[in-house]
Amino acid sequence: MPLQSVENLNSRALALPANDASERELLERIARSKDQGAFRTLYGNYYQRLSRLLSRMSVRHEDIEEVINDTFWVVWTKAAEFRGASQLSTWIIGIAYRRALNALRRAKLRPVADQPFDEDSVSVGSSEEDETNQQWLSLGLERLPVEQRMALELTYTLGHSCEEVAAILDCPVNTVKTRLFRARETLKQVLPQLAGMSGDKS
Amino acid sequence: MSARIPDTHAEAWALLPWLANGRLASEDREWVEAHVQGCAECRAELAAQRLIDSHVSEDASPQSAGSDEQRSFNKLWARIEAAESAAAPIVGTGSATVPAPRSSRTVRWLAAAVVVQALGLGALGLAFNNGNRAGDDGIVTVTDTPATTGSRANAPTVTLVFEPGTSIGTINTLLTHQGLSIVAGPGASNNYQAELSADAVASGATADSVAAVMSKDPNVSLAEPVAK
Repeated sequence: MPLQSVENLNSRALALPANDASERELLERIARSKDQGAFRTLYGNYYQRLSRLLSRMSVRHEDIEEVINDTFWVVWTKAAEFRGASQLSTWIIGIAYRRALNALRRAKLRPVADQPFDEDSVSVGSSEEDETNQQWLSLGLERLPVEQRMALELTYTLGHSCEEVAAILDCPVNTVKTRLFRARETLKQVLPQLAGMSGDKS
Repeated sequence: MSARIPDTHAEAWALLPWLANGRLASEDREWVEAHVQGCAECRAELAAQRLIDSHVSEDASPQSAGSDEQRSFNKLWARIEAAESAAAPIVGTGSATVPAPRSSRTVRWLAAAVVVQALGLGALGLAFNNGNRAGDDGIVTVTDTPATTGSRANAPTVTLVFEPGTSIGTINTLLTHQGLSIVAGPGASNNYQAELSADAVASGATADSVAAVMSKDPNVSLAEPVAK
């Protein structure tokens, strides 16, 4: 019997680097002729993705634009230096990730999710189970160290493969697996619906 | 459940997120699927992963509207134009008569701004060479009536103090990135006044927002909006 999961690809596909070739063409136009239209298109392709990712990294809303624009400043100035060893999306998201990490490390962009985990803030009395789970999930994500959170977001929200996540985070593949393993365990602690689904682990 | 080979189970378990998101490499997918079919623990875990996947994806609502995207891009583009204008050779000395490398009003103004900024940076260099003797060698200070060459009436203005030892190049980069041009200074405390470019204002920048950004830079010890 085929596993349902294989066929059950969700709408995340929209966030995938659907057409790396066309994006590379945009980059080539930027590198070759400083094409503003190509640059604007590429910017639009990544704006929402990066906004989401940076938000999950606890970069403040008002600082997200700065990190995105710093990232695309690099894209504009270094377009000719992209050698194509990786997917373009891996390169761009990796730049954004490192820019955001540097900013957070400087403690200039204070994480917005520094509050302690507050179970009372979850409205468990809600009649909408999905809404409650969503609240639990948000709290669970906030509990994750940023490296684990990014591994999870890149895998699920942006739909990257394990190897692509490793390239973006600039770490070995096994490190990605470990980070995601720990993230999964943490989420199980806070998502009631998950608690009963999986018993003993490996 | 099939006989478990510990390493196989552990590896399959680690790869389940990518089975759930459909991005598992084909060479792994076959054996992981085979393992999952015979392993109750992995089937349960896969179901849990698919649940997390759906929740995380549902939670991935757009963070901002398209107008935010356009506004952000406008800021970035103004920054790029300013930097490229600064890098281009400028002929002539009168800011109002600098030939524009391109025909747009934006670039003409930015070229003028670069000249004004260059004048300010020259003054800044003198100030750094002369320690804190600001204001005693003809350099206009913030507390004096500033020379207003290139200054626009009611342009958003910020007061800036840079960390000692900050290079002219760094200061130039900081100013350019924010669309700022020095119009007066240094003052008694090595403070400068810098105005926002028309394009930066058009893209939504304010004295408050620029001061907030500048104040985060380690090379800037003070950045405050000037009330007008």
